[in-house]
Amino acid sequence: MRYWVGAVVALFIALLQASSIEQFRVLSVTPNLLLVLLVSWLVVRGLDDVLPMIAVAGVTLGFVGLQTPGLVLLALLPIAGLGLLREMHLIHSDILMMLAFVLAATIAYEFIMIASLMLTGGGYDVLAALRSVVLPATIVNVAIAPPVYMLMRFAKSPARRNRLAY
Amino acid sequence: MTARTLVWTGFIAIAAFVLMAASRLAILDPVENVTLNVTSPVQALMRGVTSPVADWVNNITDAGALSDENAKLRDENERLTSELARAREDAIQQQGANDLGAVREQFPNDVFVAGAVISRDSSSVRSIIAIDRGSADGVREGQIVVSEGRSLVGTISKAFDSYAWVTLITDPKSAVSAIVQESRAEGVVAGNYDASLNMEFVGQGAAVTKGDFVITSGVGGGYPAGIVIGRVSTVQKADQDLFQKVRVDHLASLPNIEHVLVLTSFESQKLEQP
Repeated sequence: MRYWVGAVVALFIALLQASSIEQFRVLSVTPNLLLVLLVSWLVVRGLDDVLPMIAVAGVTLGFVGLQTPGLVLLALLPIAGLGLLREMHLIHSDILMMLAFVLAATIAYEFIMIASLMLTGGGYDVLAALRSVVLPATIVNVAIAPPVYMLMRFAKSPARRNRLAY
Repeated sequence: MTARTLVWTGFIAIAAFVLMAASRLAILDPVENVTLNVTSPVQALMRGVTSPVADWVNNITDAGALSDENAKLRDENERLTSELARAREDAIQQQGANDLGAVREQFPNDVFVAGAVISRDSSSVRSIIAIDRGSADGVREGQIVVSEGRSLVGTISKAFDSYAWVTLITDPKSAVSAIVQESRAEGVVAGNYDASLNMEFVGQGAAVTKGDFVITSGVGGGYPAGIVIGRVSTVQKADQDLFQKVRVDHLASLPNIEHVLVLTSFESQKLEQP
């Protein structure tokens, strides 16, 4: 892949996430389209392709999404760890792998966000954080993952796309 | 794992910590200011394009096309309720002042700066908005922000040249000294992860009932006294607890708020230890 294409896509999705996605609140949380897209891209294209996108998306969302710059980047970093798991081929179904990765990445992302908040002096109720943020965010992200992944599959070569490995 | 992957991962990790440290030291403030200035028209355009879809989806999930009307009625209700609470507070203050033989107006020299919401926090954890007024307009950190109906919205948490961040009262980091207007019971109104409000440290003996008004107490110097926060929605008492569990409904429609007023004439006071 030409990396600048990935960077432009990441930039656009980060802007979309900051400007528009918060309007679609489900279960009191904002769907994390950016994270789902990056995980889908990881499953479809691999770690080498997704790391530059994480860098661009994380920095952009940090600056335009009213977050602490760098924090989103840190929260997206566990996706790199999932990339290593992908290369171990523990799960042979791509869509199952993607759903499992979205679940794990969402939990890691929200935990880093909550830990940052707690370390800087706010909201020490861990159970409330799990109930109000982590659980709903996981459900919502996993729910939007299949359609995003279906779109991402077009980034695969036709031979790999058509094979029966869902 | 290839060397290239290692380099990228290391770069992202280091960049994350460097950016966080630079942000803490306010080194990135000019960059943030320019970035939001440049991207806010793009964000407004994207928001405009997607808002009909969002309205449609929200109307479906909200079970009906009554949401617009509901929002208008809520705004009107907020304004009237806020006025009612202020009138009651004026009456209470007037009574107290009469007792002392002096009348003191609450905010004789209020100066407000009107601002429009240009961006919202994109995470599910925080409740922060950005407004199109900044230090160039006299906005400073610590100033308080109210809605057009004059109920409490939040505090200026960061002021850049041409825009500012407002930490809403529903943010998990927010804590406001408050009293229940009717019983004068004191407590602290704190935000939660689900963007709701709790009134904490309300003693078991305090008389608090559903529908009571909750207003700022002015204790601590962070907020002026008498600004309406909301109304008590539920009260739970348990014998084994030290405090009552009081939930408060904020009057301002915070998730959809589009315009706010910054009280620039108020400077928060940091109290020194005795």
